[in-house]
Amino acid sequence: MIIPINLPSPSSTTATQLPLNLAKLCNSEVVLIELQGTLVVEGDSFGQHVGKLKLEGDNAKPTLLIGHHLLEGKIVTLQKPLAVLHRAGSRSRQDDAEEMDVEESKQTSYEMIGLVRRKIVFATRPMPVVSPAAVKQAIEKDDTEGKRKKLKVG
Amino acid sequence: MSETEVVFSYSSADAGTFKLLELPPDLLKLVEAAMEGSHSLSLSVKGGPEEDAVLCTDDKTYTMRSVVLSNSVLVVTPPKPEQEQTDGIVIRDQLHDVIELVPSLPKLHKLKGVLRGTEYDETHEDEEMMDADEQTENSSLPRKFTYTDAMQLQASEGELRRGLRDMRILDIGGRLRPISPSYLNMILELILNYLVSESLPHDAVPVDQLVSALEDDHEIRRQVTLQVLTWFGVIDGSIWEINVEEVLKQVALGILRHYKDEAIAEDEFIARWKRAVGDAFEAKVSLKLLEGNYLSTTLPNRFPAVLALLYFPSSSLPIDPAARFTDLFLTRLKWKAQDIAPYLADIAVDAKERDKLLLKYARATTDAEGVWYTSRNKI
Repeated sequence: MIIPINLPSPSSTTATQLPLNLAKLCNSEVVLIELQGTLVVEGDSFGQHVGKLKLEGDNAKPTLLIGHHLLEGKIVTLQKPLAVLHRAGSRSRQDDAEEMDVEESKQTSYEMIGLVRRKIVFATRPMPVVSPAAVKQAIEKDDTEGKRKKLKVG
Repeated sequence: MSETEVVFSYSSADAGTFKLLELPPDLLKLVEAAMEGSHSLSLSVKGGPEEDAVLCTDDKTYTMRSVVLSNSVLVVTPPKPEQEQTDGIVIRDQLHDVIELVPSLPKLHKLKGVLRGTEYDETHEDEEMMDADEQTENSSLPRKFTYTDAMQLQASEGELRRGLRDMRILDIGGRLRPISPSYLNMILELILNYLVSESLPHDAVPVDQLVSALEDDHEIRRQVTLQVLTWFGVIDGSIWEINVEEVLKQVALGILRHYKDEAIAEDEFIARWKRAVGDAFEAKVSLKLLEGNYLSTTLPNRFPAVLALLYFPSSSLPIDPAARFTDLFLTRLKWKAQDIAPYLADIAVDAKERDKLLLKYARATTDAEGVWYTSRNKI
């Protein structure tokens, strides 16, 4: 069996681009995010919001806020760049099982959709936060309480 | 500071359709060049259901190994404009492994088995004609093995072409058939004789003249001669430049082939070799050309000892390293480093790989004569 891997054509300009800050990370249309552990979703995950990815500055410290958990990450340059392959003309798994005749599987091919040299790694333990807004408030509250204490001492 | 919304893919079709391929430096350069458009590159994965998959470029083969990660890697892309309404980015897939590529040798040894019994020599001419007829009648012959079939083997196209050349396999009307050694040697000798009789220079032989002469005088088919010429030289337009060493080697193998069990005295062999190749190439005859094809020994019951040669081609040995070493050490209990090296060349990608094999399967001892290898296992 021969499965061809198609390389991206040099002239291809796609309509969709990554948001600017991410585009700086890599010149392709793919970003890799590495997590310690996995994302587990109860029920249907399609189209669900996962969280917010924040990149600060140019060589940024990335953070990922998922629900009430904040992950701090870093950008890592890969020792060996990765080619991201995507099975072309892919169907859902159910269809696959039904149409597993030889001819069908012969037509499998992969597209190389990008070459990735850097990835975002979130390897730290998530920090619990109530909500960004609540955190802000809490900090401000802390501040005022501190002042009050100081006053007392004074 | 900027914030980007991350969402899961909107369809289930994406999961499990992504793979990450770790690119070794040499392959990376090729891919980069291809993406810039300065070079073309064909990549394909080859393998049957019971084989380990390999990745082939135009001229190299890599074994694919899945490396499991303890972390998970999210493949994130911009949304597809027609389907997904979001300003953020989309998680397409969650992966737990990357594919590592290890340079490896092309797996062409299957050819030998598949093509057994289809050898091509002068007596097959008629049968070949029948084959051609049957082919037009659209009946599929059971043993027909074509170049397209060979493309399925786990080797890049460049390696396949080289392999077919090295194994002396002809492509006769699309069908692959190894040429019989005696027939090949006959053709070579005819060519050499022709060069001498017409006093043609060996670096500029007119192809057409030579091919026609063999066809008219000896009934050797054009396509056979033409392929033989490319094995033993370079055809540039209408001129063939002979690869002297390659020809000398093949002629020598033709003589040596008959001394598999009984040795031939070295002097006698060299003399016969020189006679066979004629005056023009006599000076270039050297046993070095035959590395990996003979064992040096002495003739039995002769005193003083007479150096002799025994035919022992590495191509006849098993491809599996363990079996190869067992065979080698059954043939000889100890091997000199420089003697065993040619017998490992076709199972190791490079010298480093070869030394690894030696370390694993052999025991090295050093004495005044140099390094010797003996078996690690008891035989």
